[in-house]
Amino acid sequence: MLVEISHYLSILSTAVFLLTFTLVIILDSASRHSEILIRRSYSHGFVLFLISFLIYVYLAITDNFSVIYISQHSNSLLPTFYKVASIWSAHEGSMFLWILFLSLWGFAFNLSKDSETRIKNISIGIISLIIVGFQLFLLITSNPFETNLPYPPLNGADINPVLQDPGLVIHPPFLYLGYVGFVIPFSYGLAFLINSNESVNWEKKTKSWSVFAWVCLTIGICLGSWWAYYELGWGGYWFWDPVENVALMPWLAATAFVHSLSVASKSNTLRIWTLLLSIIVFSLSLFGAFIVRSGIIDSIHSFANDPQRGMYLLAFIGAILFLSLSLFSAKINLLTAQNELKSQSKESFISLNNIFFGVLIFSTMMGITYPLIYELAYNQKISVGAPFYNAIYAPITILASIILVISIESRWGRGFKEAKKYNQLYVSILISGLATLALRYFKSDISLIILASFFVGILIISRYLILISINLRTNKYTNIQSAIAHMGLGLLILSISANSIFSSERVFNMKPNETKDYMGVSLTFDELQLINNSNHDSIRAAFKVTDINGRISMLYPEKRKYFARGQITSETAIKITPKRDIYITLGDQLENGSWVVNLQLNYFIRYIWFSAILMAISGLIIVGKSSRARS
Amino acid sequence: MKQHRKKRLLNILLISSLSGAGVLMVLYALNTNLDYFFTPSEIISKELPKNKRVKVGGMVLEGSVERDSSNIKFVITDYQESISVQYAGIVPDLFKEGSGVVALGYIDKNGLKAEKILAKHDENYMPPALKD
Repeated sequence: MLVEISHYLSILSTAVFLLTFTLVIILDSASRHSEILIRRSYSHGFVLFLISFLIYVYLAITDNFSVIYISQHSNSLLPTFYKVASIWSAHEGSMFLWILFLSLWGFAFNLSKDSETRIKNISIGIISLIIVGFQLFLLITSNPFETNLPYPPLNGADINPVLQDPGLVIHPPFLYLGYVGFVIPFSYGLAFLINSNESVNWEKKTKSWSVFAWVCLTIGICLGSWWAYYELGWGGYWFWDPVENVALMPWLAATAFVHSLSVASKSNTLRIWTLLLSIIVFSLSLFGAFIVRSGIIDSIHSFANDPQRGMYLLAFIGAILFLSLSLFSAKINLLTAQNELKSQSKESFISLNNIFFGVLIFSTMMGITYPLIYELAYNQKISVGAPFYNAIYAPITILASIILVISIESRWGRGFKEAKKYNQLYVSILISGLATLALRYFKSDISLIILASFFVGILIISRYLILISINLRTNKYTNIQSAIAHMGLGLLILSISANSIFSSERVFNMKPNETKDYMGVSLTFDELQLINNSNHDSIRAAFKVTDINGRISMLYPEKRKYFARGQITSETAIKITPKRDIYITLGDQLENGSWVVNLQLNYFIRYIWFSAILMAISGLIIVGKSSRARS
Repeated sequence: MKQHRKKRLLNILLISSLSGAGVLMVLYALNTNLDYFFTPSEIISKELPKNKRVKVGGMVLEGSVERDSSNIKFVITDYQESISVQYAGIVPDLFKEGSGVVALGYIDKNGLKAEKILAKHDENYMPPALKD
C-alpha cells in the first residue's frame, strides 16, 4: 500500500513540475504575482517528491520486500543505516536520489531572493523541465516502485558486500549533490540569455551556488578515492577507471568555471566563455550519468547494461545540449561588447588556466571514448589506462603550476608593475630547487617528470607561505581562499609524487607465529580467529607490526563470507602514521596451510585527501564570504 | 580596420594550429599507451603487437589453478582456445575457477606473465568479448 502511495506521489510530483514549467511559459514572468505562483508550484512539486522518497526510505528500513528493488538490494540482517544506503546501491534507487538532489538544489534556489524576477522564473522553468525529463526516465525505464506481489520473498538478496561499508553511505550522496548542483548556473545562464539584458551580472549571482556545488563534487570524489583505497585492497587512490574519469571531467570543467566566473563577474571579460563553460559543466555531469547508467563502457562501477536506458538518456541529454547550444549561439551577440584582455593581467592568466583545463578535459574524454571508436574502426578491443593519463596530466599540471606561481601577484585589468615582486619568486624557486636536489641525492632512481612534479609542488606551497607571512607582517590583504585552494593543489602534486617515489609492496607466505621483515617493518602473524557477525562470518588474522623505532601496533585484516550471496570479500587493515600507511591484505590460504599476505607501505597518501579537503575549505570560505556580503 | 582584421586572422591561425598540434599529441599519446584486449582464440589467430602490454579476458578453466609459494598459475579459456597465465601476488576475492577474469601483462612463449588480475565485482559478470 505504502509503495503505491510513494509511486503515486512521484507521478504527481512530475505533473506538478510540468505544471511549473507551463506556468513559466504562459505567465508574464516578470510580474510579482506570477513569481509567487511559480515559486509555490515548484515547492509543491519538490515536497511531493521528497515525501515520496521518505516513504521509500521507510519501506527500506521496515524490510518491505514486496518492493522488488528493495528485495534485491537489502536484507533484514543489515544494520539500519545500510538499509537506507541500500537505496542508492544500484541503478533505480540511486537515480531516485539523484533526481531528489536535483530538485533539492532547485528548491533552495527557488526560496532564495533575487531582484531579477524574470531571470529567476525562467531558471525555475528550465530546472523544472530537466527534473520532469529525469522523473520520466525514472518512472518509465527504471521504476523503483515495482512490486512482486502477491508472493514477496521472505528476505532480501542483500547489498553487494563490497558496498557494505560506511563509504557507501556518504560517497554517492556527496557526488550526486555535486553533479546536479551545476543545474543552477546552467539554467541561470540560459535564463540570462533568454532575458537578453547583458547588464545583469549573472556570474556574480550564481557564484556561491557554483562554488558550493564544486565543494560537494570535490568532497564526493575525494571520498570515492579514500573508499576505493581501503575497500578494494589495491592500495591505490586513483585507478583511471572510466567512471572515475567521468566524475573528474565535470570537476575539471567546474574548476575552470569557478575561475572564469570570478573574471567575468569582476571585469566584463571572458563572459561568452564563462557562459559556454556553464553549459559544458552541466553537460559533462549528465554525460557521467549516461556513461554509468547505459552500461556502454565496462567498468567496476557501471550498472547493468540496458539499451533502453542508454537511448533515453542519450536522447534527453542530447536535446538539452542541442537546445542550450542553439540558444547560446543565437544570443551570443549579447555579450560581444567586452573589454579586451590585458596581457599579464590576472584575467589573462586565468584564461591560460582555462586552456589547460580544456586540454585535460579533452584528453580525458578521448581516453574514455577512444576504445569505442577504435573498436568500431578496427574491430579490436582496446583499453586506455594509467600510462596515457599520466603522460597527459603530469606535464600539463607542471606547466600550469609554473604559470600559477608566476601569476600569484598579478592584478585585475593591468600588467605587473613592480619588478621587485619577482624576488619572492626567486626565494621559493631556490627552496624548492634545494629540496629537489636533496631528494635526488638520497634517491637516485627517480624519473625526471616526478622530480619536476615534486619541484612544482614545493614551489607552489613555499611561494604562498612566503606571500602570506610577508602580507601578515606588512598588514596587507591576502586572498586567503585562493591561497588555501592553491596550496591544496601544491600539496596534492607533492604528495602524489612523493607517494609514487617511496611507496612499495611485498607479498609473503606466512604461517601463524612466523615473522617477516620488509623495509624496516617487522611483521608477525599472531593468530587466526573465527568471528560470527549478524550477516557474515569472518576469518580475522592478527598481525603484530613493529616499525623501525620499535613501536608496536596490531593489525587485523579479514576475509569475510556473506550469508545472503555467499560472496567472499577481504577487509584491509591499515596502520596510519604521519609519514606512511602500513597496509595489509589477507589473500588465500595455500595447501601447506600458510596464507598469502600482502604488505604495502603507502607513503604520504593521507595528504592526497587532505589536499582535497583544503580545496573544499577554500570553497566554503568563498560561499561564506559572499553570503555575508549579500546579507 | 585592416590592421585589426589581419591581427584577428593571425590569432585564428595561431589558435587553430596550436589546437591541431594538441589533438595530434593527444592521439599520439593514446596510440602509444593503449592496451589491446584479446580472447584466447584471438591470441592464437591474430598477429600480436610485439612487446606491448595486452589484456586477456575469458573464464578461469576449472581445475587449472595451481599455487606455489606466492605464485599462482591458471588457464584462461574461452572454451575454444586457452592460454596459461602466471602471476605473483594476491588475486581478487571474486577470482575463482569457472568465473570471468581479465589478466593484464606481456605474452611470452610460456603464456601470459600477468602484472594485474581483475575479476569484476559482480558475480554474474562475463567479459564482454565472451558475450557475443
